[in-house]
This record gives sequence, structure tokens and C-alpha cells, in this order.
Amino acid sequence: MPALDLDVKGTLVAPWVDWAARHNKGRRLLEAGTYALTEGAIAAGCRVFAGYPITPATDIAEYMSKRLPQVGGYYVQCEDELAGMHACAGASLGGLKAMTATSGPGYTLMHDAYGWAITNEIPLVVVDAMRVGPISGITGAPGQGEFYVARYATHGGNFETIVVSPSSVQEAFWLTVDAFNLSERYRTPVTILTDQVVSDMWEDLFIPDEYDGLDFVVPRRHNLMMPFFPVGGADLDVPPNIIGRGTGVCVSAYTHTEEGYDIEEMEAQWAQTYRLVNKIRHHRDALTRYEVLGIEDAEVIAVAYGADARTVKTGVLEARREGIRAGFIRLITLWPFLDELFERDVPYVVCELNYDGQLVREVMRAAPDKRKVHFMGKSAELHTVAEVAAGLEGVARSGRVPELPYIWTEVR
Amino acid sequence: MNRLAQKYLRPSQIPTKACHGCGIGMIENWLLQAIDELGLKQDDVIFGTGIGCVGRQTFATWGGDNFGATHGRALPVATGLKLAQPDKKYLIVVGDGDAASIGTSHLIHAARRNLGVVVVCEDNMGYESTGGQFSPTTPAGYVTNSSPYGMVEPSFDPCDVVKAAGATFVAETTATQWHQTVKIVKKALQNDGFSFVHVRFPCNENFGAYALGTRDTLKNLEWIYEHTQGRKADGSDTDFVWETGIKHDASNSRPEFSKLLRDMNGRVQAGVEKRPPGSGGH
Repeated sequence: MPALDLDVKGTLVAPWVDWAARHNKGRRLLEAGTYALTEGAIAAGCRVFAGYPITPATDIAEYMSKRLPQVGGYYVQCEDELAGMHACAGASLGGLKAMTATSGPGYTLMHDAYGWAITNEIPLVVVDAMRVGPISGITGAPGQGEFYVARYATHGGNFETIVVSPSSVQEAFWLTVDAFNLSERYRTPVTILTDQVVSDMWEDLFIPDEYDGLDFVVPRRHNLMMPFFPVGGADLDVPPNIIGRGTGVCVSAYTHTEEGYDIEEMEAQWAQTYRLVNKIRHHRDALTRYEVLGIEDAEVIAVAYGADARTVKTGVLEARREGIRAGFIRLITLWPFLDELFERDVPYVVCELNYDGQLVREVMRAAPDKRKVHFMGKSAELHTVAEVAAGLEGVARSGRVPELPYIWTEVR
Repeated sequence: MNRLAQKYLRPSQIPTKACHGCGIGMIENWLLQAIDELGLKQDDVIFGTGIGCVGRQTFATWGGDNFGATHGRALPVATGLKLAQPDKKYLIVVGDGDAASIGTSHLIHAARRNLGVVVVCEDNMGYESTGGQFSPTTPAGYVTNSSPYGMVEPSFDPCDVVKAAGATFVAETTATQWHQTVKIVKKALQNDGFSFVHVRFPCNENFGAYALGTRDTLKNLEWIYEHTQGRKADGSDTDFVWETGIKHDASNSRPEFSKLLRDMNGRVQAGVEKRPPGSGGH
């Protein structure tokens, strides 16, 4: 096979493009995604990990148990994921940056704490290393089944969520720092929605020499006075509340006043919802992270995220080598959804690791013509380059994805 | 407003929305007395609670910092907080649902770790804020709104559970025992470890009305008192007996959880030479 045309340069829109250029003194390692996620958290100032081991996120717990005591932090192996995320919320309320890591079965259990952290505006980071499901599924196989679950990470509605997804070991490092920054700035939990392949695979990893001098890390600040909850507003960069400094702050599961008192009034419910939704919606611009390639003149555009985007991107390059003007969109920010990337009225081929079709539904909603949005769902295994190229070629030449073994195309 | 409430509580948040004759406010006053007699200030104590009658009626009454966790999860939140704020006293005031049902696994593991908190389980022997269903501490055979033919399950004693799990201070008392309760809570607060105080109190609106057949506060208190004595007013034996008092006191006999972690960190940091980031993984 002739060499791929690697001259086609993609564009990466993410804050770590600048970080990596400015902080280039460090060490190159061969390491796992779980290791990069751990080190990214330590670099971001994470000092508490509370969680429950689960494949394929277990190695994060193990790395954390070794690293945190070295930097004066705390590893707590909890009795379950409910306890894990609540303990992270408690630690964050006490003034320490915190993270937990899990997979789908544990992520579901965390929804209790997720809502508590959302409503109380508690910064923390949750890693969900997705495996194929439902439920336990195959523990060592990748899946992308929590695209919507991560958006709706708790019940009750009236909130927006921030969800980001890396596609390489190196990106997992930078993106973890970024996730901590976002959680601090937006005062909300942030999900890193990764998958079994990214977490388990070993790749080249650059790590800066010193974590102390990383000027892009958003430090923890403390809100020491009223209002504890600026309800009715949408300000970014409100310092998180702290318990233990005698401010008299109150946090709870209830609809609250700006003091944090529980209240059962329509006006208060409206004001709280306004803040939870609009502190994210009004500052969407600061949440834009993606990679694109050749979309300006593409006749067909492949869409993917996470590890699957690696083979999908190569499939796009392969299709281009075969004369198809194929483009590529890799979403890094999954939520809020980047509608603006789907403005061109061309066919989209959405590749994701589930048969039910999740990401594809959002692309259908965002694209000018949903009839031109095609689905290539696969389960428990990444798309092959040949599959992606065949799909793009089929859509470009005859308007449909050809029949391929183990690929589902129906979304109804 | 009484002197203790004025000193420690939030005027805007009391009186609570508790039903007439509810024991929650009275017990909270006894907690304040214990805090006051130990010379603790508002800033020394973090007040945590959960969901249900006890959670709703006590949340944000404390004048210092407050948290009201999701149902059953006050102890996991306190576990994280204790790491960040180890020098504070933690008063975790929860009901029988939080402590003895939905959050029991957290109770067990907080006791095992010897987490430095005082859990006050204010037990009204059922789920009363949802209208009076039985809980794991409802006495077997008693009628509630979800056991119209009598509760068929046996109940359990949360004191036995936490003692077996390793709690360093365990006591049981009731809303009919003022001085004993204050004395117990003071001892609990002086244990740098996991203290569990079980306080039974009557719910007049539901447990009283359906299990005991009366909404009369004094009659319901009397029913509790009789069961601490094993004898009714007419001299006959009660159907069962609650032993109250200190059940286990190993206060300050083993290290508190967050101290164990801090001590380990000290050993690790002393033993590890300065190495660049990324060296610690394998």
C-alpha cells in the first residue's frame, strides 16, 4: 500500500496547543493513558482521589495511590462509587481539588453525587473510561455508550454539563489539566469521557519538568463571603465556596437561596436554574475544543471522537488518497455540543462505538439536512481504516454507506 | 429564643418546619448544650446532615458551616471534608433512613476507618417525612403505612453494627433522657475518631398515630421511656427492652482516619528523594 498522504494538515483548536509550545522542557516517556490522566491531574493540583476500582479505569486508582502521598495528597478507596464521588465533593468543598475515575457501571452510580455537585457548584473531575455495554458488557473492550448519559449525568433537568474527550495518551495529559481548569472556572463537575482504548494504550508522552511553574493551571480560589450562590446571574470565574473557614456557607440537595438555604419557591427555582444553565451557555466560546481536517471543500465529512477518531482519521486520509474529497471532524468538547462545526450542507458520516446511535442524533439535529447524516455504528471494536474509507466512498459516490459486516447504519 | 439557640443557631432558620411535638428541636438543643459545655465555638464545628425529617429540620439551623448531603451520603461527604479540614469537629445529624438504611454501608466503613466524626442518629423508627413507612429500626410487628399488617421483617440495632465495624465510641439514648444524652454527646465529641450516638424519639404524626394509636407527644414519649425500663406504668413488662447508655467506649484508642493518611504521607515524603514528575508510576 502506498504511503498515506500525510501532507493534509488538520487544525487542532484547544488551549494545550499553546501550552505545549510554551512548556517544552520535560521528559518523553512511553506510558499508558491512565498514567497520563493521573499525571495531568497531579499537574493540575489534584490532591484527592476517592473512588472504587473498575476496569478499565483501575490503573488511575493505582497510580493515584502511589502519586498522591508523594505530593501531600490523599487516596481514598471507597466502599462504592456513590461514596467515591461524594467524598470528592466533600474534599473539594474543603478546599482541595479532587478527581474520581470509573467506567460505565460506576458512572451510573455517581449520578447521585453528580447532581449534588452540580447544584452546589462544586468543582471536580470525573473520568469515565467507557467500555462496551450495557452494564458490565465486555470489561476490556471499548464502547461509546455514555455520550448522552454524560450530558444528563443526573436527574431533574435544569442544568448544562461539560464533557470532554481525549483521543491519545498525550492529549489525555493536557486535557485533564484543562478539565480541572474548566471545573474551577465554571464551578461545576467536568466529565472526561474517555474509553478503554485511550486509557489502556501506551504511547509517547511528554511531561513537563516542573508542575509548579505551569502558568496555565487555574489555581483554587475560595469564596469567603455572600453571595455563596449568585443565583439569577451567569458569571464565570466565581470562586468556589469553602466549608471550614467559618463563612457560614450552606450547601444541600435542595433548591437554594444565595445563602444556600433550602427554599420551596418558584422564583428561587427559576433563579437557580438560570445560573446552572446559563453560566455554561453564556460562556460556550471558552469551551470550544475540536480537530478538523479538510472540511472547507469536503464533499463528505467523517465525524468521530475518542480513540475511534484515530482510525476514522486515517480512513479519511485513505479516502482522500482514493480521490474522495473527504473531511474530518473530531469532537473534543462533546457537551455543550459544537453545533457550529456542522454548518456546511454536505453529507456527514458519523462513526461511533455503539449500535443504537447517539452522537449521530446530535449531528442530525445540528446539520442543515438530517437526511444527509449517515451512521456507521460499531460495537466493542474500533472502526477499521478500510471500513471508514468504504463508508466515505459509498456516501460520496452513491449517497449511502455500503453494507459492511458488524456495521449498523439504521437510526430510527 | 433560648440562650443556646441565640449563641449557636441562625435566627432566620428557626423555628424549623417540624411538626408540633417533634423531638428533633429538643434533641438539637441538647446537642448545643454539649457543645457549649465543651467550650466549642460555631467555627469549631461543621454540621452535616442528610435527607428526611432530621435532615430537613436541622439543615442550616447551625450558625456555622452546614452541609445537607444527598440521602445516605453525609458520611462520604464528611470523609472528603475531613481530609481538607482535619481540625474541625463534625456533627453529622441524620435519621434512621440515612444511617440505618440507605447509607448503612457508609456508616460501616466510616466506623471501620475511625473517621473523626460524631454521628447522631436521631431515630423516629420509620420514614416519617414520606408519610410513615417502616424502616430497619421499626420494631418488628408494628403497624405503619407500609406495614398495615405489622412489619414482618426483624429490625436491627445500628449500635451493634457500628460496634462490630470498629467504632471507637458507641452509645444509645432516647428523647426521654436529657442529662444522659448531653453527657454522651460530650464524650462522643471528645473522641478523636468515630463516635455513634443513637437517639430514639417519637414521631407523633405517623409512628405515634399508626403504630401506637396516639398523636399525644407525652404518651409517645412515655412509650419510649417504658421501653428503656422494660416496664409499663401499670407494672407489666414491655414487649421488648432498649438498653441505653454507653455501649462501647474505646475513645482515642486508635488513630483517626485522616491522621493515618497524613502520617503515611509524612513517611512517604521522607523516604522518597526528589524526583521529577512522571517518575512515580511503576
